[in-house]
Amino acid sequence: MPEKIKVVVNEDRCYLCSGCAAVCPTLAIEVHSSGWEFIQEKCISCRICINACPVGALSAEPLEVKE
Amino acid sequence: MNQMKYDAVIVGAGIAGPIITRNIARAGYSVLLIDKKWAIGMPKQCAEGISIKIFEKYDIPYDKRFINREIYGAKLYSPSGYELELRYKEVSGVILERKVFDKMLAYYATKAGADVLTRTEAVDVIRKDGKIVGIKAKHEDEPVEIYADIIVAADGVESTIARKAGINTYAPPHEFDSSYEYEMLIEGFDPDSIHIWFGNEIAPRGYVWVFPKDEDRANVGIGINSDNPRTAKYYLDKWLRENNIPAKKLLEINVGIVPVGGFVKELVKDNVLVVGDAARQVNPMHGGGMAEAMEAGTIASKWIVKALEEENLELLKNYTKEWWETDGKRLERVLKVRRVTEKLSDEDLDLFIQVLSGADAEKIAGGDYVEVIKALLKHPKVLLSPRRIKLLKELL
Repeated sequence: MPEKIKVVVNEDRCYLCSGCAAVCPTLAIEVHSSGWEFIQEKCISCRICINACPVGALSAEPLEVKE
Repeated sequence: MNQMKYDAVIVGAGIAGPIITRNIARAGYSVLLIDKKWAIGMPKQCAEGISIKIFEKYDIPYDKRFINREIYGAKLYSPSGYELELRYKEVSGVILERKVFDKMLAYYATKAGADVLTRTEAVDVIRKDGKIVGIKAKHEDEPVEIYADIIVAADGVESTIARKAGINTYAPPHEFDSSYEYEMLIEGFDPDSIHIWFGNEIAPRGYVWVFPKDEDRANVGIGINSDNPRTAKYYLDKWLRENNIPAKKLLEINVGIVPVGGFVKELVKDNVLVVGDAARQVNPMHGGGMAEAMEAGTIASKWIVKALEEENLELLKNYTKEWWETDGKRLERVLKVRRVTEKLSDEDLDLFIQVLSGADAEKIAGGDYVEVIKALLKHPKVLLSPRRIKLLKELL
């Protein structure tokens, strides 16, 4: 099982190009005209979005597991 | 809650959306075009080059307000610096200004009778008794329900509405390219040609381009495989540095993902159609999708109008059929070439760029390449390499 992650955006690098939303297999990223949105419940921690970003604006943070 | 009712609603005012909207409005039906952006045409995700043929073919005025520069050919460069030139006596293409072009396409749609709403984001489809009857949207902060008999998802590479409508547009990451582009001042390149550099170190699986918009101003960009651990920006900055091209006069930065690995199979589901980048209708060889969007949009709008005239939504399925029998068939051939070119080493690229003529390259890019491949198979440097023979034979 891959490590469960939270995808975070560096807003100063992001161009809101929607590339991450396009490659996401589960619609876990939505790009609105006003901003970038991550939907944790839908994310399957595949990291495809992180590699695909043309400017490297996305990164992963380990998801805190509730004890 | 603001409610609206149209014969058709089109999501996305890029290239395909406004063309479809215009064609439906011309046939006398009520149609609304929406886009989440507040200014149509920007930001663009495009190198802005297009063939001169499209203006007549798709009935678009040749308006200098959106034509930056007329182009007479192309120059291709191999990793070791071999060059291949295509040069025409007449204008063969233009470099557009998308922020004007897209807006004008939407303007032509309004002049034909359509409504257009910007900053109107499609949020979801509206279902009633299991059928899709419209879309939920947001205009600024105001929710709107747009009811329509026919819905077109021309919503770009993320294809949110197509996917929410249940059309499978998903593709794995290696079927996309990541792109990064500067509009910048650049000197030393013939401003009447477009320029393309190939090489596995320069642009893995893709290329670097210089598309002149002026004597000394150009779109300078790159596409690479999107599952590459490094970014498109990294490779473009590296290329500029290695070629001593100063990137100090930057007028624009554009970023995007390009679907280059194949096309959506089912383009229609009940009363929802998918078109353009959302349907991955892009030339897989060069990553351009404007002409492809115009063609698909023309076919889609023809069947939308027929379906409305005959009040028979079953007719919409003919869009899938006709696209696959015509442009889809052509693009499948181009995809086959692309899959072979992906495997070329830098030495192969050097050889092919050395021995091919401009006319040959054009045939290959257009999917009409059998004679060119047959001639290449007779070249001594190919005959001596079983690997090259095998690669080329994959194309026959």
